Formats: sequence, structure tokens, C-alpha cells
Amino acid sequence: MRILYIDTSSSYLYSAIVEDGKLLSSVSEDYGQGLSQIALPKIAEMFQENNLSPKDVDKIIVVNGPGSFTGIRIGITIAKVYAWSLNIPITTINSLEAMATSSKEQKVHIPMLNARRGYVYTAIYSAEGKCLFEPKHIKLEEFQKEMEKYENYEILSNDEFEEDFTLNHYQPDFVTITQEFKDKEDMNPHAVNPEYLKLTEAEEKL
Amino acid sequence: MKDMYILGIESSCDETSISIVKNGTEEIATVISSQIDIHKNYGGVVPEIASRHHVKNITIVLEECLQKAEMTMEEIDGIAITYGPGLIGSLLIGLEAAKTLAFIYQKPLIPVHHIAGHIYANSLVQPLKFPLLAVVVSGGHTELIVMKDHYQFEKIGGTLDDAIGECYDKVARVIGLEYPGGPKVDKLSLVGKDTYKLPIPLQDDSYNFSFSGLKSAVINLVHNEEQRNEEIRKEDLATSFQKVAVESITSKVRKAIVEKQIKNVIVAGGVAANNGLRTAMKELTDELGVELSIPPMKYCTDNGTMIAAAGYYAYQAGRVADLDLNSKSQDTLK
Repeated sequence: MRILYIDTSSSYLYSAIVEDGKLLSSVSEDYGQGLSQIALPKIAEMFQENNLSPKDVDKIIVVNGPGSFTGIRIGITIAKVYAWSLNIPITTINSLEAMATSSKEQKVHIPMLNARRGYVYTAIYSAEGKCLFEPKHIKLEEFQKEMEKYENYEILSNDEFEEDFTLNHYQPDFVTITQEFKDKEDMNPHAVNPEYLKLTEAEEKL
Repeated sequence: MKDMYILGIESSCDETSISIVKNGTEEIATVISSQIDIHKNYGGVVPEIASRHHVKNITIVLEECLQKAEMTMEEIDGIAITYGPGLIGSLLIGLEAAKTLAFIYQKPLIPVHHIAGHIYANSLVQPLKFPLLAVVVSGGHTELIVMKDHYQFEKIGGTLDDAIGECYDKVARVIGLEYPGGPKVDKLSLVGKDTYKLPIPLQDDSYNFSFSGLKSAVINLVHNEEQRNEEIRKEDLATSFQKVAVESITSKVRKAIVEKQIKNVIVAGGVAANNGLRTAMKELTDELGVELSIPPMKYCTDNGTMIAAAGYYAYQAGRVADLDLNSKSQDTLK
């Protein structure tokens, strides 16, 4: 089974083609504002590197958030159009789950994204990957009380925070992620949508 | 020559629309998903909400369009996409979809400027004649464009501040009409009388427009009347406003027709649906003996049909993009 993995939920493009648990090609690069422009050419390059036709894909796994609103939509749009076109299975995973799954540390994993204005997107996973605190958009101050419940934990993030955190850099382990989620229930491509975990400001004020 | 079927994708504002057009002139199928009822609650288009709906709708609209056309993606010869101008977050959804389709099916990716789309909406009705003057009037644009041939655009003037449609919507809000109020002002103006005195903006030698002064004049007039406890006669104000707004367009159009030896005038964009403007343009072009093309109402608002039509001519002119095409919130039509 050949899986195309896409995560554009930050300014990084994380994408890979994994075939039966073997990594064929991958991209992990911070493209900043250029992500919308570069994402598809980079995905196309991975196919070319392996002499694969764009149609040689059996399954798509896409990250549906949380993270950059625009970023999430780039990956979701590519993924749902792809799956719809080829009529192949597609499944979504959470960006925080992808981060925790990639960690090699035998500790409680706390993936964290800076959502600004004192807020974070975060969750807590056991060393074995069990979700202990559901992904949430939460005030960091409030979340720190949750963190205190655990002694041996790591914070996973590529963002910067004002707090004096020791951060473990996130680098996706494409093989582990795709193996872990390849059997997750498939979705109708039309129903594959971002999970922002946050309303728009206009909706909050309404 | 072999028939050419272009798939056009438009997502620059609050409509997700996909169409298939044959040879730039024949509409095969169009699907439009409008968000107007959603944005009504906020008194205008909220960009982030618009983007969220585009991503939800995109594959549904695509599937419906192909079903309506009874075609498959394999039968499509090129994918035309509005790359700009517009709301960046909205544009990106259409762009990523178009790039993905172009990649999977190995089809030409054709970048189309949103205004070129509005102009080419007319080629779905009758062939364009050159030299042509395009009067582009919408919520985001007020521009005069001269075309000497297909896909050659020369902007000779535009608004220095607000777009005409924006001005209509603001006037509507001041007199208490619900968003989108522009068409309601137009409707009211048909029953009122021209009794309020408003200044005709920018009567100069250029081909430019200015609507912020006119907008302010209306706002001040309403405030003054309120302070004097005088009730505003909404329909009369609508009539007076419409007369001045339309006149400021037609005076520059007259000048351009004469100086640029125009054979065909096209009115394009959302405000092309405005009755006052349609009537005035008809009178002006009849007087000067120039052909007038105004697209039917269904092509005046944003749609994929016009993008697919323009895409055909863009492709003939050799305008093809690579997969690194990006959206642009602002861009001059060239």
C-alpha cells in the first residue's frame, strides 16, 4: 500500500510517500508565507523522484489541524481533491497526535502550538500514545495546571513561547505516523474538513 | 480544430463556482455555491468564514459540475483558475484544487485574472469586437480597460479610492438597507425622484473615478437631515445618488469611446446588473453608434463560467502556468 501523507498545518510542509512501511520520499521544510505556492510542486517532485505517476497512490493521510488556518486549508484542499479524483481512501489525523506519535521519548507527550494572545493548541498523550487530555484551544495559564498533574513529561513544539519551557523539536516520523494511522476509518472526501478548534473572531463576537 | 473543454474554478470572494465551457463560448455546466446568507449576519463578507466555506464546498461543487456536464476529468482539456485579485484565503482554495487537478490529470493550468473573467462573460453571449472598451464595475473594482485584440488588456483608468459597488453598499447601510444593499438602492431609485443635490465626482481629463467624496456627501446629508429631525426620503436619495454615480461613469465612458475609437462596449462585474447603469449605457452607446454588450444577470456575479471562457482565450494566447502558481490578492490585469 502506497500512502501519501500531507501536513501543512504550520508554515512547514511535511509530506511523504510511504510504501508498505518504507519511506520513498519526504519533505520537511519551513516555507513561511510561500507554503501555498510550493506545496504542490514539492509533492509532485516526490512522485517524480520515484518515477511514480500522480495516480499511483492507494491512500491519503492528511493533518486536519489545529494550527495555521490558511495552512490547514492548503493541505486539506489538496488531499480531498486528490482522494476524490482517484476515488481512494482518505483519513485525517490531528497535528498534535502526529507530533506525539513521532516522539521517541518514553514520557508523557505534550505537543503544543502557540495560538497567540496567551493561548495554545495542545493535548496530552501518554508515553504509549493514549490521549489523556483532548486537543484544545486553551489559555496557557489554565493549561499549566493540567501539566502539573504529570511529573515526567516533554513539551513538543517548533514554536516559541514567552514561558521558560524546555522544548523538544518536532520532526515527523513519517513511517511511524503512517503505520499507526493507515487503518484508521476512511472518510468521504467531501467530509474531510479542517478542525480549527477555534471559531473565527467574527463568530465569537456575534 | 478539435473542440476544447475548459474547467473554470472561481473562489475569489464568497462564491465557490466551477464550470465547464466549450471553446470559450458555450456553457456546458455551471455550479455556484453562494455564501450570501451566511455573510448577511455580519453585514459583509468575513474573509476567514468565506475561506472555511470554500474548503467545505470545493469537491462537492466539482462533483456536481461534472455530473451536470456528464463528463469526466479525463475529457477536460485545461483547468482555468482565478489566481487573483480577491480575498487571499478564498483564492487559495480554488488555486490548490486547480493545481491538484492539473497535476493528477496532467492538464494545462491556466491562470485567469478575475476581471478578464468578467470581460469574457460576454463571449458566452456574442463574439467580442475590437477595439473594445470594458467597463468593469463591481464591489471591488471600477476600471476602464481597452482591448485591441483577444487577451490584450490596457487599463486606461480606475477608481482612486472606493469601488462603485462598495460605495453603493455603504450608501445602502447609511439609509438602513440590509447587506448586500447595492441592488436595493438600485431598486429604490426606480421609484424615487431626484431631489437631493449631490456632487458629481472627479470631472477631470483623466479616465479615473472617485467615489469616496460621493459616499461622504451622502453620509453627511443623512446626518444633517437627522439633526434637523427631517426624515430622509430613502427612495429620493437613492434616485439622486444613482443619477450622480451613473453619470460619473458614463461621462468617462463617452470620452473613451470617442478618443479610443471603440467599436464594442462591454459592461462587466456585479454592478453591471444595475438598472440605472444599464439604461444610461444603452442610451450613450445608441447615441454614439457603438455596440453594447451586457452579460445576462447570471453572468454578472462571480462564477466559474466566465473564468472557463476567459481561460480558453488565455490558453490560445499561450498563458499557461506551472504548479508553483500562487494567488495574488492584488494584481493589475495585463
